[in-house]
Amino acid sequence: MVDPALALLVFAGLCVALAALAWPGRGLVPRWLRMAQLGERVLLEDTLKHVLTCRQTGQGCSVDSVAGRLGLSPARATALLSSLARMGLIRMEPDGPALTREGSRSAVSLVRTHRLWERYLADRTGVPAAEWHEQAERMEHALSPEQTDALEVRLGHPTWDPHGDPIPDASGELPPSPGVSLAEVDPGRAVEIVHLEDEPRETYDALLADGLVLGGRLEVLGRDAGGVRVRAGGREWTLDLLASRNVSVRRLAEGERAEPASMTLDAARIGEPVRVVAISRACQGPERRRLLDLGLVRGTEITARFASAAGDPVAYTIRGALIALRRRQASWIAVEPAANVAAEVQG
Amino acid sequence: MNVAPSVAHGGCAQHRTDSLLRLGLNPDKWDILVALAGNPNVGKSTVFNALTGLRQHTGNWPGKTIARAEGAFAHEGQRVKIVDLPGTYSLQAGSTDEEVARDFILFGRPDVTVVVVDATRLERNLNLALQVLDITDRVVVYLNLVDEARRHGIAVDAARLEKELGVPVVSGVARTGVGIDELLAASFRIATGAARTRPYRAAQLPAGVEATVAELTREIDAAFPAVPNARWVALRLLNADGAVVEVVRSGELGQLGDSPGEGSAAEPPPPPPPPAERERVLRTARRLRWTLPADFHDSLTERIYTAAQRIADGAQMRGLKKAGFDLDRTLDRLLTSRWLGFPCMLAILATVFWITIEGANVPSGMLAALLIDNVHPWLKGLFDGVGSPWWLSGFLVDGIYLATAWVVAVMLPPMAIFFPLFTLLEDFGYLPRVAFNLDALFRSAGAHGKQALTMCMGFGCNAAGVVSTRVIDSPRERLIAILTNNFSLCNGRWPTQILIATIFIGALAPAHLSGLVSAAAVIAIAVLGIVAMFGASWFLSRTMLRGEATSFSLELPPYRPPRVLQTLYTSVIDRTLIVLWRAVVFAVPAGAVIWLVSNIHLGGASLAEHAVTSLDPIGLLIGLNGVILLAYVVAIPANEIVVPTVLMLTVLTVDLAGAGSGAGVMFELESIAATGELLRAGGWTLLTAVNLMLFSLLHNPCSTTLYTIYKETRSARWTTLAAALPLVIGVAVCFLVTQVWRLVATA
Repeated sequence: MVDPALALLVFAGLCVALAALAWPGRGLVPRWLRMAQLGERVLLEDTLKHVLTCRQTGQGCSVDSVAGRLGLSPARATALLSSLARMGLIRMEPDGPALTREGSRSAVSLVRTHRLWERYLADRTGVPAAEWHEQAERMEHALSPEQTDALEVRLGHPTWDPHGDPIPDASGELPPSPGVSLAEVDPGRAVEIVHLEDEPRETYDALLADGLVLGGRLEVLGRDAGGVRVRAGGREWTLDLLASRNVSVRRLAEGERAEPASMTLDAARIGEPVRVVAISRACQGPERRRLLDLGLVRGTEITARFASAAGDPVAYTIRGALIALRRRQASWIAVEPAANVAAEVQG
Repeated sequence: MNVAPSVAHGGCAQHRTDSLLRLGLNPDKWDILVALAGNPNVGKSTVFNALTGLRQHTGNWPGKTIARAEGAFAHEGQRVKIVDLPGTYSLQAGSTDEEVARDFILFGRPDVTVVVVDATRLERNLNLALQVLDITDRVVVYLNLVDEARRHGIAVDAARLEKELGVPVVSGVARTGVGIDELLAASFRIATGAARTRPYRAAQLPAGVEATVAELTREIDAAFPAVPNARWVALRLLNADGAVVEVVRSGELGQLGDSPGEGSAAEPPPPPPPPAERERVLRTARRLRWTLPADFHDSLTERIYTAAQRIADGAQMRGLKKAGFDLDRTLDRLLTSRWLGFPCMLAILATVFWITIEGANVPSGMLAALLIDNVHPWLKGLFDGVGSPWWLSGFLVDGIYLATAWVVAVMLPPMAIFFPLFTLLEDFGYLPRVAFNLDALFRSAGAHGKQALTMCMGFGCNAAGVVSTRVIDSPRERLIAILTNNFSLCNGRWPTQILIATIFIGALAPAHLSGLVSAAAVIAIAVLGIVAMFGASWFLSRTMLRGEATSFSLELPPYRPPRVLQTLYTSVIDRTLIVLWRAVVFAVPAGAVIWLVSNIHLGGASLAEHAVTSLDPIGLLIGLNGVILLAYVVAIPANEIVVPTVLMLTVLTVDLAGAGSGAGVMFELESIAATGELLRAGGWTLLTAVNLMLFSLLHNPCSTTLYTIYKETRSARWTTLAAALPLVIGVAVCFLVTQVWRLVATA
């Protein structure tokens, strides 16, 4: 019979080896897959996209910026740029590399695949928002033009990606991103967020952590060298300049309120009717559609009836039916007391 | 091809036939095609049954009809085909179900669509009805459950509703058949074109959007003059509905226009507009979509609900009954209360399991006595009497017959008791409350509260448990429930656990306590299974199923008095017999294989002996033995025959004189003590017994369940995972237990 101590040792060794190989993100196999992906073509495509972004935002584009963006040595960046020039995709101009017609077409097609994939992840899957960008960065190099077209058809030719960027159509037209930077808004104005830049990841994560979402509303209180002071959801805080530049907003008309409601459904008391004001933009895709289909649209009256034995979920009367919603879902739904509305209408 | 809808659509009949075949309809003959649409849990299936006489199982559950049911009957000399569409909250084509329902109404062009509406929840049901009216003119609304509405103090004015909606409205109670004849008559009037409808079309959108929609509508009207509702097409194009874009591009849209009963046989469908014109429509739609606000989709839903609310308010009177004793509220207060909710639940479920176990003993014993002790020798004698060779009677009677008989005897009685009881609770409306109470627990493992119910079904039979996951309408949570159902100790495995625990674990305790100790051991195994289920759910939801779409919702339907007779009938037919049939289909080849491996000899030993010898080292490493491993391989069709196979193989390999019934003939011994002696002679120890109990819980599902998983997921990948996950866990657990045990024993 095998010595049990030896057997257990071998087993532990196998477990460690397996973990080292396949651990998500850090294991040898995922690393190797990532390395294999970072081939020449991917680097060339990323360079092309970088040039497009620079030209669009008006930032300077140079060998150094390419090297910085892709994490390469300046020599490697120079080699990539000259390869692209040889292929006729970019030309060197006094202020740095610029895209040729052909190059611009290729770069926009990459952007299109990227944004379509983000839309797909947002609408059809349960992948969390913070991971959309990274997955799309990989898929933009992997999908063929035919697959991209098929994806577009399947998603129903969407116009905007989940960050608020327009999705170019197959003709290669890239509409400008909408809105103005939050850093340029004068104090005292209420704004609606129309775009959240998803790069760099740290800044984006910080924006998400602050509870900023597409379609969310803010009140700009003040602005100085340190950043922009804003108020939303009954909370005040300061966004530093870098973060506020990554938020594009639309100025609301005078008199439009920044905060449509001070209360979400999860705070509603049992037996007291409330009225739906809005569903948060943080709730997207299948989850949003389900809530809408259940009849949770603006103006719907809801009454919390009873909590489950464990306290969550809570059953609500929604348009005559008894529907259980989890606390997380209820926290997406902005409501106001139904009695107030009635009083306003009468008065 | 023999499809011949004879009433209308002469010119485009062939075209429609092609569409219907593409939608997966059985190509048989009918004169009138009826589609049945409605929200989940409004009694659509009951209406279907009332019309066809077919007993489709109907539950007090949202989302019962996943697979589309078809039925046929004759009425007034016409052959009627009726298609039960999946119950959906809307037709926005956001989920597969919605797409199926929408595509059928749009492309299948039924002669009439019956929308079943729940009178107790009129407003929400009208949301779907109005969306159907947007697509087709040929609609009849059936206002179901008016009796229940009356009980809740709601009265609905059907005439007023009919005037508002512009289509016939028939009120009734489907489960007692009230209003079904009127429904049929109204449907016939619409289908044959004897009556025309003026369907309600929902009102204005916000000003800016309205202008956009109007612009596109004009363009569609110009290109496709025959389309009945260009505005709806415009809205769908602006919402970028892929299927609608496709029919515009192909020109098919022009042929979907239906003008009921005008003898359109003589009237050929208009030719499609030239491709350039169709492309222009699509280009305009693309351009206009950039101008739409981000909440366009929301405002569409809002618009329909606003209309639904207005119509419902006008047509119904609420609060007729003064708020007196409200049975639903009182029951809910009790059954979901913080203190009594869980005790009530445990008491009810424990009662169901107790009745099942106690009640199944007697019929199981009788079936075994009949099929195994009496019919088997009789058949054997019959074969010998006509002088058939030993191998033929061995193969057919000892192999195939015996395996099948065993599966039926062990499986049938508990299922025939458990499923009706469970279905009664479901019918009454209690099970959704169980899901409601347990949701918090399941949510922390990334699962859905309804998984509590599919898990309970799994204690009856894993295959039935997998089928029951259809009530979970969120894709990710449903997959989790399917993949982890096998961790519920099914009734094919309970007898194994009880037998082994009695022989090896009960014997450790003093005689008066042994029954208690062995019962505790079996329950510990079942609890371990629940723990493993939560662990696996947690793991799956964070790794492999992380990216699957999720959308939680749980409707708590009103309590309804359960229909005892119908429940008995349908749960025996639907659940028990279907699962049993599948098990028998798989048991037949297993019986054959078991007999063959024991009787085909190669170099002086049977195949089974060779296999046992080569499997022994692996078996010993994980604390089992070659016999057990071989039994689990050949008895994969049903856990019920694992123990008989183990006994037969033990006798075969250990060569005990006088024991058993011969090579390849499964058997069980009358006395538990004798079984214990036989197993100990086969080299079993307490460690073997513990590991067998663990492995019986943690191994791949039986092939019946695997086949069911494949049918439900349509994916070889998920089926493989469902088999591999518990097997890997089981082998690892047995290995660790064995090696640690030995380490401790030698120390």
